[in-house]
Amino acid sequence: MRLLVLILAITFTAAHGADPSKILRITFQAAETGFDPVKVSDYYSGTVIEAIFDPLLTYDYLARPARLVPNTATDLPQISDQGRTYRVSVKPGIHFADDPVFKGKKRELTALDYAYSIGRFLDPKNRSPYAFMFEGIAAIETPERHTLVIRLKQPDLNFSHVLAFSLSGAVAREAIEHYGDESAAKPVGSGAFRLKSYRRSSKIVLEANPGYREVMRDGARLPRIGGVEISIMEETQSRWLAFQRGDTDIEYQLSEVAPTFITAEGQLKPEFARRGIKLERSVDPEITYLYFNMQDKTVGGFSKEKIALRRAIAMAYKVEDQIRIIRKGQSIRAHYPIPPGVAGHDPQYRSSIAHDPRAANALLDKFGYRKGADGYRQLPDGGALVIRYSSTPSERDRQFDELMKRSLDSIGVRLEIHKDRFPELIKLENQCRLMMRGAAWIADYPDGDNFMQLLYGPNTGQSNNACYRSPEYDKRYQRSRLLPDGPERNELYREMARIMETDTVWLLTDSRYRNVLMQPRVKGYTKHPVLHAEWLYIDLE
Amino acid sequence: MSSYLTRRLWQFFPTLLGVILLVFFLFNWVGGDPAYLLAGKIASAEQIENIRRSLGVDQPYWVQLGIFLKQVATADFGVSWSTNERVSQIFATRLGPSLTVLLPLLFLSTVISLAAAMLVAYYRGSLTDRAIMIGCTVGQSVSILVYILVLQYWLAYRLGWFPVQGWGGTLGENLLAYAALPILVGVIVSLAPDIRLYRSVFLDEIDQDYVRTARAKGLGEGRVMWLHVLRNAAIPITTNVMTQVPGLLAGAFLIERFFSIPGIGREVILAVERSDFPVIKAVTVYVAIATMVVNLLADLTYRALDPRVQLK
Amino acid sequence: MSLWHLAWRRLLRDPVGIASAALVLAFIALAAASAAGWVARDWADEAGVSYAPPRFFGTVVEDQAAEVAKALPQEDYGIQDPIGPELAEIRKSLTELSQDEAKQGSLLFGADKWGRDVLKKAIKGTETSLIVGFAAAALATLLGTLFGAFAGFYGRWVDDFFNWLYSVFTSIPYLLLVLAVAAVLGQKGVLTVILILGLTGWTGIFRLVRAEYLKHRVREYVLAADAVGASAGRRMFAHILPNVSHVVLVQLSLHVVLFIKSEVILSFLGFGVGVDTVSWGSMLAEAPSELILGMWWQIAAATAAMALAVTAFSLFTDALRDALDPRLQ
Repeated sequence: MRLLVLILAITFTAAHGADPSKILRITFQAAETGFDPVKVSDYYSGTVIEAIFDPLLTYDYLARPARLVPNTATDLPQISDQGRTYRVSVKPGIHFADDPVFKGKKRELTALDYAYSIGRFLDPKNRSPYAFMFEGIAAIETPERHTLVIRLKQPDLNFSHVLAFSLSGAVAREAIEHYGDESAAKPVGSGAFRLKSYRRSSKIVLEANPGYREVMRDGARLPRIGGVEISIMEETQSRWLAFQRGDTDIEYQLSEVAPTFITAEGQLKPEFARRGIKLERSVDPEITYLYFNMQDKTVGGFSKEKIALRRAIAMAYKVEDQIRIIRKGQSIRAHYPIPPGVAGHDPQYRSSIAHDPRAANALLDKFGYRKGADGYRQLPDGGALVIRYSSTPSERDRQFDELMKRSLDSIGVRLEIHKDRFPELIKLENQCRLMMRGAAWIADYPDGDNFMQLLYGPNTGQSNNACYRSPEYDKRYQRSRLLPDGPERNELYREMARIMETDTVWLLTDSRYRNVLMQPRVKGYTKHPVLHAEWLYIDLE
Repeated sequence: MSSYLTRRLWQFFPTLLGVILLVFFLFNWVGGDPAYLLAGKIASAEQIENIRRSLGVDQPYWVQLGIFLKQVATADFGVSWSTNERVSQIFATRLGPSLTVLLPLLFLSTVISLAAAMLVAYYRGSLTDRAIMIGCTVGQSVSILVYILVLQYWLAYRLGWFPVQGWGGTLGENLLAYAALPILVGVIVSLAPDIRLYRSVFLDEIDQDYVRTARAKGLGEGRVMWLHVLRNAAIPITTNVMTQVPGLLAGAFLIERFFSIPGIGREVILAVERSDFPVIKAVTVYVAIATMVVNLLADLTYRALDPRVQLK
Repeated sequence: MSLWHLAWRRLLRDPVGIASAALVLAFIALAAASAAGWVARDWADEAGVSYAPPRFFGTVVEDQAAEVAKALPQEDYGIQDPIGPELAEIRKSLTELSQDEAKQGSLLFGADKWGRDVLKKAIKGTETSLIVGFAAAALATLLGTLFGAFAGFYGRWVDDFFNWLYSVFTSIPYLLLVLAVAAVLGQKGVLTVILILGLTGWTGIFRLVRAEYLKHRVREYVLAADAVGASAGRRMFAHILPNVSHVVLVQLSLHVVLFIKSEVILSFLGFGVGVDTVSWGSMLAEAPSELILGMWWQIAAATAAMALAVTAFSLFTDALRDALDPRLQ
């Protein structure tokens, strides 16, 4: 009898998929901004958007490195014209979630919706923060109702990643036009979840979309859970206590307090393991780095004495302390501009810049940066040498200020901390008016080009925050754009990394671990390197 | 009376103008440029220009100031730059949670501190008085940050008496469960300064002639305290309580952040971080108006409670 | 006998007043000694290992800063280092290994994340926080007294103007005002904090001083001074000010306490003192995550130092007020 009930229960869930009683409770550590794909740039809004809207392509949940698979497309795009033309077919019979705007009718998802949704990024009126990803598009055509053809200005063999990007999901024109300014709070998509209730910057509740197309995995229809409840909690103490009390199911934003639950070897501490709590640890596809403004009067330029100054600062910076003390051991040293998990990453590559304050001091002595009466070094011509390091007013940045101060003190270089609010820093950075700042870049898509473009000369004023222009680097970058992922491109990338190092434009510092804690009831969770919302695949007991 | 009201209402305008000018100067002129924040990870110069144009921050200052004045006059501050939410909507949804915490907090702390202040004023100079006053002083000397951290950890997490954080959908649920600990923290923090203030107010009154007369007439000390002193002390007490409200609205951000309460204070911090000028403008103007109205109400209450006060 | 003389006599009779005054003086002496470099001059040194626990607590922590292998890659991928020859020369001359100084596994009162002595930080923090408190209170008092004196003494449009300024400043939410002023001033360390607090905190003093001047300007002694031809400035500051200075003094002292506490909130918001110094606020701002990690000593040291100083100061203010205004006894 019991067996029968069990079997019935299994078939019941298998047939109906989402179980409304299974609600996943998670947190965001910063407020979202809204759910209109063209309007957002923050990680948290992007996560929710990914759950509500359907891009043409997606990534296989388990394959590593991340592998593109069709989502609403019938197949991967046909690439022709040496990478200038992408043709893709949309599966027929997929529908948008029901919404009053469709007036009770079923609304089918077609190639026209993708043409409209992607076209919105290119419309200056929408001023989309992610317009840059779509800039290469010359024309979007829909020769048939379910066929989309995208023509690019330049050959690009990696454009498929853009079609899998979480913000490339299809919106319905009627919904966008009807809701207008409110479209950020009224997302209508064809994805696995839909917005059930929404209290801005406080609570986002999603429910499984009952009309979601049939996606099977291990004999069960996805999604298995009935909904997701997201609470915004800014303070680490609140998130940690809430998870410990069992108020939340999955929590990863706890790096500041990680030593309470992780051993030095990266294992979950036994007292938590005994309670059935699970830990999943992975390295985020990101790099953090310190950059020098190459156009700056004090630290910029390509003369040997300027290179020596930058190199000495890079050699003085205590990366180990950043990892051990500020990150609480929850990051790994970054040696290569492309992080692990992203195509083009080279695990063998070692940075030629190591922490060595003694050699750094000797280097400065050699190039004439002599110490003045106050114990601080001067420029070779006797002028004042002050390193201006910019950061935002926050407790987190204060720790980096302190580390920078301690590092520069070890080579007798005077430091001035420049504090400004984030938008102001970005403004000055784009105008090449900062001297030095710490920056981070997380993959938009898992391809090395997304990282190597950060040092490409013509991107100065945009993403090239070091304002670096090197003919040697740029020449190789242009060649790399024409190559698919493979040994030939990797060869170029290695040379480019070494060119950047010998010029000492950046000091690569670290890539952070993502420590995901789960309550015992969470099943089947694996952190995906690119996808944010793994909710489609998980189950709860 | 009505001429007094008219005059006071007229005075609102120059003050409001001053507030508008000051806020405009501080945030618009010297503050951040939101375009760079909204432009995202990679932005070209044209895109920045496009954003600046659509926000209207490329206009001359006097045009922007004019728009601001018009927004104040029509009470329509448009939409938030970062979320596109209507600013009026932000107010409508965030005010409730803020008040759910603030009003019980003010009520409780006033009642408790009045009782305590009465007690110590009654026993003035005694050991009880001294002990309570020194206790208050010590309690007052610890930062609110420490109170929040420690109380959240012990009362909510270790002892499990309250939820650690969160906010529900109904008023009852919020009042009984989620707002309870935030209110308690607020009461504990404001108790010490309130007791000290009210004690001095009472002592002030106790020395007045009318109290001496009452005592001379043979009225009991308790009756003197309850009837005469409390009645006359009501004015400064009311003023103190009422004038606290607008300031607390934006000032309770620490409590709101730690306990995840979707209130105004948290929104203000968020707006400043995002250079979300429409929200900043609206919060400032509304709180300024609330402050002025409350001050006026406090003055009118003066009159109601004590007919000797003449409003000219 | 003068008001001050009487007040002094009354203060001497108040044991709590005496004790708190002594404690306040002790704190000021400590801050002065720290400013002069006699104590806690080496507060920024890494005396112990990261988060070395307090000694009375027993445990000792091993130095985890493992020496990283300095082996450098041989492969150059065909790219020449412009300063390669110079570096090679230097590396050859620096063959013998440097010996790092051994760091202590525990300190008397524990260490912070960089291994700095928490006790020394608390002492240095006392100096900074008291300077911030006193200087900001002095600035606020100066502004409040000047404005209040002019408004109360001159009346008419002068009064109207300052009242207008007062209502503008008190109508803007304090938090927004502080954040805005902080954004305008930029961040240049202790001086900015003083300016932020002083420029926004004068309103309470203004209201009281103005009321006093309103009362005093029609008193006989002022009218008499006017009759003998004393200038307005003389009447305001030579005649009236001494008679209202007890109000000012009490307010000054109250605001010191207020600003010391406000500095904590400023630090939490990231607008605190610079990186080359430390204050109680900057210590407490590090507290939230440390407390969960079980590193309670820094928050304990900062809270204890602050509680002691602020309590002493508040009690002293009370005694001062009682002494100056005997009616309240």
